[in-house]
Amino acid sequence: MLSRKSFMTLPPCAWLAFVMLCLNGSVWSAPPTIRVGSKAFTESVVLGEVIAHLVRDAGFGVQHRAELGGTQIVWQALTSGEIDVYVDYTGTIREEILADAIRNGVKINSEQDMRSELAKQNILMSKPLGFNNTYALGMRRPVADALGITTVSDLKQHPKLALAISDEFVARKDGWYQLVARYALPQTDIRVMEHNLAYRGLAEDAVQLTDLYTTDPEIPFYNLIALEDDLGFFPAYEAVLLMRDDLAQRAPEAAQAILRLQGLISSDAMASMSAEVRLNRRTETVVAGEFLNRELNLGVELPQTTAAAVALRVAARIGRSTVEHLFLVTISLGLAIAVAVPLGILASRREAFAQTVLGIVGVIQTLPSMALLVFMMPIFALVNLGIGPAPAICALFLYSLLPIVRGTYLGIRQIPVAMRESAEVLGLDARAQLRLVELPLALPSILSGIKTAAVINVGTATIGALIGAGGYGAPILTGIRLSDTGLLLQGAVPAALMAIAVQFGFSCLEHRIVSPGLRGQS
Amino acid sequence: MFTLENVSKSFGSLQVLEPTNIRFEPGKSTVLIGPSGCGKSTLLRMMVGLIPPDAGLILFEGSELGPSNLHQMRQRMGYVIQDGGLFPHLTAFENVSLMAKHLGWVSERIQGRVIELAELTRLPSQSLTRYPTQMSGGQRQRVGIMRALMLDPPVLLLDEPMGSLDPLVRYDLQEDLLKIIRTLNKTAITVTHDMGEAGFLGDHVILLGDGRIVQQGKLDDMVQHPANAYVTRFVNAQRIQGLGGNSPC
Repeated sequence: MLSRKSFMTLPPCAWLAFVMLCLNGSVWSAPPTIRVGSKAFTESVVLGEVIAHLVRDAGFGVQHRAELGGTQIVWQALTSGEIDVYVDYTGTIREEILADAIRNGVKINSEQDMRSELAKQNILMSKPLGFNNTYALGMRRPVADALGITTVSDLKQHPKLALAISDEFVARKDGWYQLVARYALPQTDIRVMEHNLAYRGLAEDAVQLTDLYTTDPEIPFYNLIALEDDLGFFPAYEAVLLMRDDLAQRAPEAAQAILRLQGLISSDAMASMSAEVRLNRRTETVVAGEFLNRELNLGVELPQTTAAAVALRVAARIGRSTVEHLFLVTISLGLAIAVAVPLGILASRREAFAQTVLGIVGVIQTLPSMALLVFMMPIFALVNLGIGPAPAICALFLYSLLPIVRGTYLGIRQIPVAMRESAEVLGLDARAQLRLVELPLALPSILSGIKTAAVINVGTATIGALIGAGGYGAPILTGIRLSDTGLLLQGAVPAALMAIAVQFGFSCLEHRIVSPGLRGQS
Repeated sequence: MFTLENVSKSFGSLQVLEPTNIRFEPGKSTVLIGPSGCGKSTLLRMMVGLIPPDAGLILFEGSELGPSNLHQMRQRMGYVIQDGGLFPHLTAFENVSLMAKHLGWVSERIQGRVIELAELTRLPSQSLTRYPTQMSGGQRQRVGIMRALMLDPPVLLLDEPMGSLDPLVRYDLQEDLLKIIRTLNKTAITVTHDMGEAGFLGDHVILLGDGRIVQQGKLDDMVQHPANAYVTRFVNAQRIQGLGGNSPC
């Protein structure tokens, strides 16, 4: 009994400590001087690259943690010190970041009010960068012309339009539902879609109206019209830098360099940079570098674009994704085995405990992975690991529990009573019975639980890219954002191959460690 | 060797064994016989400590069976069940030597002992490397007996050891088992519902019915002087042609 208990409690703690050390240490990257963040849309990633070039030019090391999901994730990363700077918009700051303060009676009437409120949280807000990227509702011009729609109010006459609204716009406090209320729109049936997929739907006429950003390059490309906001619902979305105030002390030259962006980027410049990336398929790094070389005479060295250099970069990216993905999967699976096998053994001993444990891990299994990730972030932010692999590993660990606990529990429970009694009457004590008889007999079932968990992990780990955990999810996410199927496949194909390799690996392992006497039994 | 004092057992409201007293003498072969549900297997399972008695004392070599000494005492009992109860993930050799290896015997000693037992039970030596699924029912049972004898315990407890064997195999194995018990001078306690087997293996036969001892002694006495109508019915039901009839045909 005692030994089983210590087996239960000790190794997971030790494991966790080990993982924390790994994550803080060298596994992920060399300690960067300045860490830049960006949200998961092209404009934000381009601006992140622009900042990165400026910082590098000022002589600092830099790490760009790109495509970190939405506002909440990036803001949390900034306040917890996992990134130093990113670009956000005044409208977003007012409606999302300072929403609680405003509800509590703080008056935000000017940019200066906003600045001083943010300063209380040790965040500096720069002057506007020069462009306003607000929300609008958009339609294809021929469709809008045919229906005679030019303003948002005109939508009242057309309740049957097919609408696709981006998840971020639906969730915003100045988003879809407030707009509907303000304009008294009749449309209630909307489809919630990822922003870039909504554009595709629009192009294919599957969708007739969606929300858009006014600097999106798709507006001219797809011949869209942004409906006039005739009631003045949308607030201004001036782009500004949000920077931790300790950066100015830690690296004043870097902070100075970043602030050169104030007033530097016009709406046209921004739209044309986004168009270069989204429509001409050039990388954010190159587009951002060219912009700085042009505007500030910076002399950023641009990556080579010969076929060989590109192929090398692709190979390097797949290699890096593979290492990151394997890291996520193996650590989470290792932790899960260390916890779930003892849990399954305990469950096989006590039926009441079994029902409780299987109930709990079963419920965990039903939680949507994105929800679980976002739930993990604030917890891990307490130890400065809110973004990156730690929350992803934790979520994968939780998802792995059910198949392994179940496999262990069932594997032991299905051992015939006569077998159990034979072991007992031989004179083996409880530990020896477990080690010499029960576990070897349950091994095929335990292994198949672990195999299921591993395959699920390989697939689910792709979602870790949303919070900067890397892995095969990163090219998939970027591929979706840029409608770049090739890039998407750079993540999807290796992920599928890895799942197959895991299956094969476990078959070999099973052949090696399961007794030949048990073959064909399970 | 074994002494049962006022031992009784109920499962829920069903009393499977009324308070019973039995002494099993060292070196003697006793057979517990009776129809299904008469309490004979329950009795044996209490003696190896798989189920505790509701009341009464079970003494083994003079000490009461209890949680503190059960592991040690079991190493001095050999227990054989129907079809051998072998572990399917271990070869015959590994099944037989499992406990000795756990106790830290050196491999030469294990090797020697297993070969000795294989000769004794007439198990072909090439069967030692086979897994239970690769052996016949009779071979499995021989391995089961080898496993029970490995630590050279003074007592063998056999719960329907021939239950799943066909008549010819059973006939051979009964002969071998009796020879083993006699040669090694073991105390043997066998549970069966087969009168022929009881007469062949047992110096002493105990007939159980409805949770109590109905009659005990030599099988001949039981057949010729049945204590009551129950015994007569039980004997007749077995269609024994002659006394001590061990012919399976």
